[in-house]
Amino acid sequence: MKKIIPFLLAAISIHSVAQVSPKVQAKFDQQAKAIEPQVIEWRRHLHQNPELSNRETQTGAYVAEHLKKLGLKVQTGVAHTGVVALLETGRPGPVIALRADMDALPVTERNSLPFASKVKTTFNGQETGVMHACGHDSHVAMLMGVAEILTKNKADLKGTIKFIFQPAEEGAPVGEQGGAGLMVKEGVLENPKVEVIFGLHISSITPLGKITYRHGGIMAAADNYSVLVKGRQAHGSTPWMSVDPIVTAAQIINGLQTIISRQTELTKEAAVITVGRINAGIRENIIPEEAFFAGTIRTLDTEMQDKIHEKIKLTATKIAESMGATAEVTIRRGTPVTYNDPALTQKMVPSLQRAAGVENTLVINAITGAEDFAFYQKEIPGLFFFIGAMPPDTDPAKVPSHHTPDFMIDESSFVTGVKAMLNLTLDYMNARK
Amino acid sequence: MKKIITLLCLACLISASAAAQTKAQPKIDAEIKALEPSLVKWRRYFHENPELSNREVKTGAKIAEQLKTLGFEVQYPVAKTGVVALLKGTKPGPVVALRADIDALPVTERNALPFASKVKTQFGGQETGVMHACGHDGHMAILLTVAEVLAKNKSELKGTVKFIFQPAEEGAAPEEGVAGAELMVKEGVLENPKVDAIFGLHIQSLLPSGQLAYRAGGLMAAVDGFDITVKGQGAHGATPWDSVDPVVISTQIIQGLQTIVSRQTELTKAGAVITVGSIHGGIRRNIIPETVLLQGTIRTFDDDMQKKVHEKIKLTAQKIAESAGAKSDVNIQIMYPATINNEALTNQMVPSLVRAAGQENVVLTQPVTMAEDFSFYQRKVPGFFFFLGAYPKEMNLQIKPTHHTADFMFDEAAMVTGVKALVNLTLDYMNQPTKK
Repeated sequence: MKKIIPFLLAAISIHSVAQVSPKVQAKFDQQAKAIEPQVIEWRRHLHQNPELSNRETQTGAYVAEHLKKLGLKVQTGVAHTGVVALLETGRPGPVIALRADMDALPVTERNSLPFASKVKTTFNGQETGVMHACGHDSHVAMLMGVAEILTKNKADLKGTIKFIFQPAEEGAPVGEQGGAGLMVKEGVLENPKVEVIFGLHISSITPLGKITYRHGGIMAAADNYSVLVKGRQAHGSTPWMSVDPIVTAAQIINGLQTIISRQTELTKEAAVITVGRINAGIRENIIPEEAFFAGTIRTLDTEMQDKIHEKIKLTATKIAESMGATAEVTIRRGTPVTYNDPALTQKMVPSLQRAAGVENTLVINAITGAEDFAFYQKEIPGLFFFIGAMPPDTDPAKVPSHHTPDFMIDESSFVTGVKAMLNLTLDYMNARK
Repeated sequence: MKKIITLLCLACLISASAAAQTKAQPKIDAEIKALEPSLVKWRRYFHENPELSNREVKTGAKIAEQLKTLGFEVQYPVAKTGVVALLKGTKPGPVVALRADIDALPVTERNALPFASKVKTQFGGQETGVMHACGHDGHMAILLTVAEVLAKNKSELKGTVKFIFQPAEEGAAPEEGVAGAELMVKEGVLENPKVDAIFGLHIQSLLPSGQLAYRAGGLMAAVDGFDITVKGQGAHGATPWDSVDPVVISTQIIQGLQTIVSRQTELTKAGAVITVGSIHGGIRRNIIPETVLLQGTIRTFDDDMQKKVHEKIKLTAQKIAESAGAKSDVNIQIMYPATINNEALTNQMVPSLVRAAGQENVVLTQPVTMAEDFSFYQRKVPGFFFFLGAYPKEMNLQIKPTHHTADFMFDEAAMVTGVKALVNLTLDYMNQPTKK
């Protein structure tokens, strides 16, 4: 019975969401289309001037200048280089946050675009190009456009809109904090308290014009683990004098796979345990004292995540004990699951459908990559979705993926993104009880 | 230093006993040679009249009758169908036991010999032939001939010879309880008079005829059985996450067990084997069962190693089961101990074998992973067990006349060497200068 009630509520909300008058809708759609050239211009500027995670100084200043010009209350230097702006309507209503990430990647661009990046830097002691190879340039430009339209139409709005331009989504440099986690820590969801958050990601592998989303876990939690198997050292010719940590580690690695294959409810959500590296020994004829391996755990459900962590510990320690060895298991929680609140998602689907068309709004499979938007969703309900930007007439098998030198997006997708963010904001504030 | 002294002493012993025996050897050898026709006759009689373990009624009676004819003090039946006989020498000396096993196997003979077995019986509810497919017929014939030779030389004997004709070496049905050598020991075969040393041999159809193969220390393996019940939780095959899957856990345990041998056992000291011979779980392809039963055999040559391997089997099975949320019940059945040849005794007695078969025909053998219940005697008294090679040169080794098969066959000419070996061992042991 419990399950039925939220569904009914969701149904009612859907009905109440579709309340924006056709006239207002038409006005916003028209303005979204009108701002397209500027969004493209901003995007190209940002594309040509990419900055690595926690180093987005020029980007932050560029965004802040635009927001200040709009007359918004702007806070800079949030979580190092982030920018937060408030649009207060003066009318009672929810606080809605819209988020874009700003950082680029240490990738040397190979595209022959007129605005291709020529920026160089050193990263981890290596000379490298810098490139917006994940499309964050477009996220920033689209949100700048959304901010401009919403500000200009302040009279039609209620409540408060908080624009979050976040640094370091790709991960802060070693030894630094950064990204969404740090922004939350610095209080970005407080003063005023945010009720709901929306965010999008451009996708070079999704056909142009599509919006894709998923209820529940859309992108995985990424946790790191390491296992140190401690045995006893001996000459390679006398294994009986040893407690062999390499053979023990091999058995543990096999055992870990059975956590997924035999012990995890895969119809609820997928899960991944990968051993990404294994190190042991120094010479072929010495059985070493220790073997070390480390990997990543991807889960789409927090309960499953906790269970898998426990099972990894049990599997490793007990199999080690079965050979007379010990295993020290360290699990470091990383990015949580990017979890789209199911009720919120259900409620907001029509907003997405009006932006892209019903036939272009699709449910997708979960993605085992991670996204730090999850840190906001850990605190408040949020919806994260994808904007398709694969140019038409492209062979999907040959599309350059994100994070590669050939990464490219079709700029005509931006209008859809702007519309989606506008619709979500308007529909959410109007759907409120 | 200790080791060197022992070796030097051994050298003294060897030369002393060898010297004592050299003079009498041609006479004894001639007597044995003369008995060869009766030796072969005995063997063929037993071959044609095989009886299964603990059912050697006619066999036992025949042996008892012959030993009485020779004038021995005969005890029959011992350990169900066994025969024990004493030959007391005229001079004082040690008690030497000589053992032959007397049971046949449920195998239907395929050899076209005039004396091939035609005996049929029921075994485990199945119709089967009965055959001396392990050469125990030869062992009996050899030991009866040894008895005859030694009886003729009674006046020369310093001490007592105890002849042990043992049933059920191949093992009795579980419901019959303790059997074979273990039962004989339990019934006191090594007491009254107390045995000082025991000798035994086994015909080996795959060793060249006339060869004697031996080894100091572990010669044949201890055999123990293990049952591992992996207890998980059943579920539909489509939802493994609702189960604790005992099938996958069993495979992990099987792999783990192999690493006990490969990684945790000192293989240069002695070999070891862990075999999972049977795995049973489940009833239908789409049901994850609740339990899986693994059964296997453990072969070891060293008491310490045996104990360690048992402990490690328990640890491995239990911990790997726990690693996946299951439980393992491990049950290890101690069966036959290792056939371990007393090192000092073995080294002392090698010259007796050399004089029986010739220097070039006495060879060292690797340990074999088969088991032999002669080991129960060796637990109590120093013992020496060796192999008598018995395949004739002309035999086609492509079709291996392996023990326990329908084609098993051996060269009867080898038996003389077996008689000589046992006679030499007895006399040399009695004649050793420093016994007590």
